[in-house]
Amino acid sequence: MKIVAKPIEMIAWFTRDGVPNPIRFRIMEEQKALKVINVDKIVFREKEKIAGCPAIIFNCQSNINGAEKLYQLKYQMDTCKWILFKI
Amino acid sequence: MESGRIIFHIDANSAFLSWEAAYRLSIGENIDLRTIPSVVGGDPKTRHGIVLAKSLPAKAYRIKTGESLFAAAQKCPGLTIIPPDFNLYLKCSNAMVDMLKRFSPDIQRFSVDECFLDYAGHDKSHKAAFDAAFEIKESIKKELGFTVNIGISTNKLLAKMASDFKKPDLVHTLFPEEVKSKMWPLPVEDLFMVGRATKPKLNKMGIFTIGDLANFDLDILKFKLKKQGLLIWEYANGIENSKVNPDSSLGIKGIGNSTTISFDVEDRNTAHLILFSLVETVGMRLRSSGSLCSLISVSIKNNKFLSCSKQRKLYFCTDSTSTIGEIACQLFDELWNGDPVRHLGVSVTSLSSNEKNQLSFFYHGDIEKDEKLNKTVDTIREKYGKNSLIRSSFLYSGLKPVNGGSGSDSYPVMSSFL
Repeated sequence: MKIVAKPIEMIAWFTRDGVPNPIRFRIMEEQKALKVINVDKIVFREKEKIAGCPAIIFNCQSNINGAEKLYQLKYQMDTCKWILFKI
Repeated sequence: MESGRIIFHIDANSAFLSWEAAYRLSIGENIDLRTIPSVVGGDPKTRHGIVLAKSLPAKAYRIKTGESLFAAAQKCPGLTIIPPDFNLYLKCSNAMVDMLKRFSPDIQRFSVDECFLDYAGHDKSHKAAFDAAFEIKESIKKELGFTVNIGISTNKLLAKMASDFKKPDLVHTLFPEEVKSKMWPLPVEDLFMVGRATKPKLNKMGIFTIGDLANFDLDILKFKLKKQGLLIWEYANGIENSKVNPDSSLGIKGIGNSTTISFDVEDRNTAHLILFSLVETVGMRLRSSGSLCSLISVSIKNNKFLSCSKQRKLYFCTDSTSTIGEIACQLFDELWNGDPVRHLGVSVTSLSSNEKNQLSFFYHGDIEKDEKLNKTVDTIREKYGKNSLIRSSFLYSGLKPVNGGSGSDSYPVMSSFL
């Protein structure tokens, strides 16, 4: 996986305890077209607090353009932004 | 104080820079600022401002903290300059303190990037302390993404000296039995509380290393340097026994703002405007701290870097921007000899609580109306930004209408009290 760090639009659900679960997201591709990707599987998640900024990392798997791909999403808790961090 | 204390001093390595670097890596930048010549400070476009923190590669170009960005960029042409983000630094600092609280409840925040930690109540063997320090260092590196130096000793002073030895990412010990071998050979200006003013005085007496100072005649030191002589002599001998004090705030004694102007101010009106822009922030800070002041002082530095100041004791207490501003302008007029001005400062002291206030017979103007006005201005500025409401005299003047302040008053600042 390589770092891309692209901002994305996200639909997620939150449990009653406040645990976020990404469902699907939309990303601007290079040709200026929007692409929607369903999050098929969350492999594992971890919390980080680099530089005092809390974030949750989701390692996910999806079928993108006919191929199963692993990627990493990042949810920045203090700004509520979602990022496609690595793919 | 009991002798079995173990004190840690935790000091973030080039704090602002490594925090900035860690943050940028976490949002996906692929260059680690710590590995290239880079500095934090000022405005990278206009190159105004000073170096607040530097990376180790920048240090190799002999860039010093506190020098101007222009001078730094001349020493190293490809230098990366990053504007400071104090809110991020406060977050990092808080995260560091939170992390330390896992190890001990007795923590004193000494400045934004330094903490003292009392390791008492645990296993007091030196080995255990060393292991614990190592664990703290490693968990900060792993979880928060920056490196720290930790000094271990039996008091705060020695711990602080120890964390300064060799950087980055190391644990050092400086127990009293090691003072002779580890601290005494260091140059005397490395000692806490020996600065650029004390150093030449000590050098004149033939004191060049901390060891020289420690073995010097105390009576002569006391005679020459008064109380500070005793203090630094004790420090040189590793004597210091203040407590790790979780609430290190001493209470506000005064509030002040100053600014260095990018051009020479030669007319009275501009100077008054700049004074007012400083008073705006001083007034806001004074009111938000719930205090009134009764002493106002103004300082001027001219283009030859000569400075002078003048203060006035008031016969009433006030927190009004316009009152402070008027008096500051009067003081300026009395003080100014016509030289071009490069630096202006306003500060207020003799603070008292604003719960009760003795009104003055001789005060002109409507105090209640003024109070309401100030309150409204503060509320509007808090909600919509500090430039949302400005004095009309600043229109088209090209001057900043509200000047000074680091953006966060909850910012822990360095103090000379351990």
